[in-house]
Amino acid sequence: MTLPLGITFDAFTDFGFWTSVGILAGTYTIFTLGLQLNVGFTGIVNFGQAGFMAIGAYTMGILVVKYDWSFWLALPAAVLVAVAFGLLIGLPSLRLRADYFAIATIAAAEIVRITAQNARELTGGNQGLFGFEGSWDNVSDSITSGLQSLGWSDPETLFPLFLVVWATALVATLLLYFMQRSPWGRVLRAVREDEDAARALGKNALVYKLQSLSIAATLGALAGFFLALNLNFLNPEEFEPLFTFIGYAVLVLGGLANYWGVAFGAIIMWTILEGTRFIDLPISAEREAAVRFMIVGLVLILLMAFRPQGVFGKKEEMVLGD
Amino acid sequence: MTEPMASSPAAMTRPAEGRAPGVPDGGRPILEIGDVRRRFGGIMAVDGATLDVEEGSVTALIGPNGAGKTTLFNVITGFYRADHGSIRFQGREIARRPPHAIARLGMVRTFQITKALARMPVMDNMMLAAPEQPGEQLVNLLVRPGAARRREREVRERAEELLSVFQLERLRDEYAGVLSGGQRKLLEFARALMAEPKMLLLDEPMAGINPTLGARLLEHMHRLRRERGMTFLFVEHDMEVVMGHSDRVIVMAEGKVIATGAPEAVRSDQRVIDAYLGGGAAVGSEG
Repeated sequence: MTLPLGITFDAFTDFGFWTSVGILAGTYTIFTLGLQLNVGFTGIVNFGQAGFMAIGAYTMGILVVKYDWSFWLALPAAVLVAVAFGLLIGLPSLRLRADYFAIATIAAAEIVRITAQNARELTGGNQGLFGFEGSWDNVSDSITSGLQSLGWSDPETLFPLFLVVWATALVATLLLYFMQRSPWGRVLRAVREDEDAARALGKNALVYKLQSLSIAATLGALAGFFLALNLNFLNPEEFEPLFTFIGYAVLVLGGLANYWGVAFGAIIMWTILEGTRFIDLPISAEREAAVRFMIVGLVLILLMAFRPQGVFGKKEEMVLGD
Repeated sequence: MTEPMASSPAAMTRPAEGRAPGVPDGGRPILEIGDVRRRFGGIMAVDGATLDVEEGSVTALIGPNGAGKTTLFNVITGFYRADHGSIRFQGREIARRPPHAIARLGMVRTFQITKALARMPVMDNMMLAAPEQPGEQLVNLLVRPGAARRREREVRERAEELLSVFQLERLRDEYAGVLSGGQRKLLEFARALMAEPKMLLLDEPMAGINPTLGARLLEHMHRLRRERGMTFLFVEHDMEVVMGHSDRVIVMAEGKVIATGAPEAVRSDQRVIDAYLGGGAAVGSEG
């Protein structure tokens, strides 16, 4: 089917297309769940999520490639490094007002990215870091053969990654959902509403904000692993602040303070971003890449106009104040 | 609970219960503040305040605007750090402790501008305040889920009880943000009680609250003092309430304590009259 402008919809019936969109959406679901925890439920504005993703991905990659660590040992180690980095940023800056913290996080994330660009012996710089996915490939192969034994003759190469990404996203969403309904989550929301009120009632607001940031860093690192396995290499460009802001767009789309909205927003976002690749306009490729973000912008504007709380957000939580 | 027919603040006035006016009961101090100072730039907001609050008393803290009452509250409860001086609660020095630690020791405050957590239901506002909740630690949710659940049930029961005492039970599932100003005051008071305090600091509890709700709040204050020996220190501008409901009045002006005593004694104290009518502070702006 071909339309006059040269838009084809063939891709939308292609299983491979949906597998790759699904992996991206799943990865960003995990990534954005951390933002949801911070922004939606704790009231701390974390602009450095791409930095945590970079730390997770690079720590794993470096430990496996340069230090011959086992992939499975490198994963938890990378999570720990990301959490430690989160605490390092959070301890001094979470005492400050929310906007200073936001600035500190974006700066920290840029430090990570620029370090990755320049510490070439370790990270390969802009040439990229390769060769960390061997152990994963074995797992992927056994999932593939499992699928084949179920009668699927020729599964997509990336389909096992798709399954694992979404299983992780689902488990993370469920965990966060139940944590939020616990007394722990209640304290977090109180900190979001009014830190001083929480402190006046005996709650150590700083400790809760640090926990929130640590969990976001963990989710960022997990997203980094999946990004790395999806690409099969690591490049500093993948961790630009833009990706944090795509996360924010996902957050706004799905709705603040709702964990289920995150997956929804991520799927919509990546369907738009990847789907628009197939629009064939008579302009240069760079301009066409810009058109994708124009469409994203348009969607967000329409959303703000007609449903400012996002698809799953609660209106009351937007309008009520002191 | 029967509603008093009161409609004017004057009608709420009654003598402080259980004590002859002007006679200190000789109770030991629960809070001792010695020469506390706090400066903001060039202004000494609190300039060497010294005072005691007796255990089980209802003590009013009054003074003209800008006298340093709210700043002193903030220093006592750890929200501001004292530049100088000592603050002892139940004999324990608390001047360097953070607010949450002070609250856990049993000294809980309310705020002049209520801090109802607007985007949380009334019930969650209440349950939040309860102390010693295992479920507030992530580790316990994994390791001792049973204990967390049990405590959660207790806390919910207690919150239901208090909400019905303050006749807020019908609002339990509403967002606190939809409550009226007076209801928020009551909620904040009830929430502070959830924290099981030994001493409650109330910053203008009667401001913006209608006389019926105000009377209910005062009634509870006296009952808690009577039944549990709870101590109250409150900042208030309504002199009828101050004179009718406190056993002791502490008067501040320009960051210092200028008079302390029984309500009648303070009322006729020349320094107090001067502070309100003359002195350096602005005149006539009292609410």
